[in-house]
Amino acid sequence: MKQSVVKIDNLVKRYGELVALDHFSLDIHEGEIFGLLGPNGSGKTTTINCLLSLLSFDKGDIQIFGRKMTPTSYDIKQQIGVIMQNVAVFDELTVAENIDYFCGLYITDPVKRRQYTEEAVQFVGLEDFLRFRPKKLSGGLLRRLNIACGIAHKPRLIILDEPTVAVDPQSRNRILEGIAALNRSGATVIYTSHYMEEVEQLCTRIAIMDKGKKIAEGTKDELKRMIRNTETVTIEILALADDIRAEIAALPHIYDTAYDGSRLTVFCSGGKHNLIRILHVLQEHSVSFGRVYSELPTLNDVFLEITGKALRDKGD
Amino acid sequence: MFLHNLKYELLTALRTKDMLLWIILFPLILATLFQIAFGSIYEQNTKFSVIPAAVVSGPDNENFRLAAERVSDSGEPLLRITDTDEETALGLLKNGEVYGIFYTDTPVTLTVSGKGIHQSILKTFAERYNATAAVLRETAASDPQRIPAVLEAISAEVTACTELPVTEGNPDPYIQFFHNLIAMVALFGTTTGLHICTQNQANLSALGARKCCSPTRRSVSIAASLTASYLAHTVCMVICVSFQAFVLGVDFGSKLPLVYLAAVLAGCMGVTMGFFVGSIGRVSTDTKTGIVTAVTMTLCFLSGLMIGNIKAVIAAKAPWFNRINPAAIISDCFYCLNLYSDYARFREKICMMLLYTLLFAVLGICMTRRRKYASI
Repeated sequence: MKQSVVKIDNLVKRYGELVALDHFSLDIHEGEIFGLLGPNGSGKTTTINCLLSLLSFDKGDIQIFGRKMTPTSYDIKQQIGVIMQNVAVFDELTVAENIDYFCGLYITDPVKRRQYTEEAVQFVGLEDFLRFRPKKLSGGLLRRLNIACGIAHKPRLIILDEPTVAVDPQSRNRILEGIAALNRSGATVIYTSHYMEEVEQLCTRIAIMDKGKKIAEGTKDELKRMIRNTETVTIEILALADDIRAEIAALPHIYDTAYDGSRLTVFCSGGKHNLIRILHVLQEHSVSFGRVYSELPTLNDVFLEITGKALRDKGD
Repeated sequence: MFLHNLKYELLTALRTKDMLLWIILFPLILATLFQIAFGSIYEQNTKFSVIPAAVVSGPDNENFRLAAERVSDSGEPLLRITDTDEETALGLLKNGEVYGIFYTDTPVTLTVSGKGIHQSILKTFAERYNATAAVLRETAASDPQRIPAVLEAISAEVTACTELPVTEGNPDPYIQFFHNLIAMVALFGTTTGLHICTQNQANLSALGARKCCSPTRRSVSIAASLTASYLAHTVCMVICVSFQAFVLGVDFGSKLPLVYLAAVLAGCMGVTMGFFVGSIGRVSTDTKTGIVTAVTMTLCFLSGLMIGNIKAVIAAKAPWFNRINPAAIISDCFYCLNLYSDYARFREKICMMLLYTLLFAVLGICMTRRRKYASI
């Protein structure tokens, strides 16, 4: 069993009448990339702010590296790298100066600091922009600068709060590859996002939050096993009689169907040859069909089924 | 850690465009406009200059000319005499080229146009000449042997009063506008002070939150920010005073080093005042900036930046306000330094500034030392 790096126990945070965190608990182990997933307002950022002792909370306990986290836990903060949701750099300093400044808050040895700064610049690929001020950088480059400022001191625990918001696909890929590389070099990562595909690609373990509560936790496969859906079959059909659709719905392991006039969607739970059985029914009734897809459940399906709703403000 | 923070906080402060525009360039432009508007008023209205006058020859011409030459050729000439005929003299008077026309009859008569100090001086000169001439004529008629003694007595200057200068400094009342301008620049430091709070509090900016996540103690971070702001504002104050003193030629008296000292302390007070305001509540930085700018300009207005005699009006109606108005304290500091030869009042104003600085710093630190926030 790997050592616990972050342990949140029964955390409660209220903003007046609103309960932002409702008895929230979490245990993150060393070497993990832990994804904190949830819609806007679910409590992800509040959790991170409590974790970093920026926010006071009403109840609960937070331990990092086995010690209680307080605002004056400087030895713990020394080992944490933070990449905030909002870019937090000095507009008046250049790229190189910003990274050197933030690295210098953790590393006092100037030689070591210079080396770490150079490595961070290379890591995020900002070598050509060292003398640029942040306002001259594109959104993607700015996010990369934000990350470099957060990881330059080589922390043991890296907390990334939605680091890819408003970032182009190329920069996003680079950021995700970078996070994976940091993890390979030994850092434990906490990654919050509402981009399902990112979390699915990156994280070894995931907690899904909604309304301040943890509603599911586990690896991707464990989460997928929690839901009823195991396969979704989609078939392009221009005309489908109701009795044929009912016959398909009555097949074993099929728990729901939907038809919108051009496409039949069949939701399966378990079973090994669902697609073949469905196509067999269509052939029996001489129903002509176009393209056929069979998809395994994604994290998005898990999220939708567990939370019972569509993602809110996706992509903001 | 302190020096690392200080280095970058100072770089940030010096590169802030708002500082360059509002705390350096704007006051320089304003000072230049003040110099154009007020620079020569005092000299023109108050300082003495040679009085041009015309002389129309008459029977007593020779004696009057001797007397007039005596006051015109001295080290500090009183008159510039033009000998001419009456018609030309009247033309000169009409055109304003002379203030009066002396007719060297017995007694000498004077024609002037209008009233003024120059006309009064010409009248006094004519009266004094006529009185002296009358005494000499009477002496010549009654006892001619006494004429040398009478001449000696007339020539001897008897001074019953001792002339003491009001001040060794610059008596120009318009210098108060420059004093108030320095006060304004000092109080513009409030915006710099506000910036310190914004960038060090997690609930006011992302940068503040980011700094709070680092292992740097809050006290170290704030101390570095305050020191950097003091240094940056000191540069602004030195530029402001130097520009006025050496480029515009504003006369701050003989105690220029103390003017610099007062300006630097005033700047520190302004920065600390902004730090204090910034630490109050969760109002947005833009709103706070608007508030401190409005308050600063109002305080400067009430200390006489826009209307010269408003401070005197307040001194008559509500003297306590001038004693607590930071802008008035700063401008009074320069005023005392310029006018008074002793330093008692200057020290009093400096102590007030130091007290304000200390008070604002302690209150600001007390309010920002809280490390956790109920909301961000």
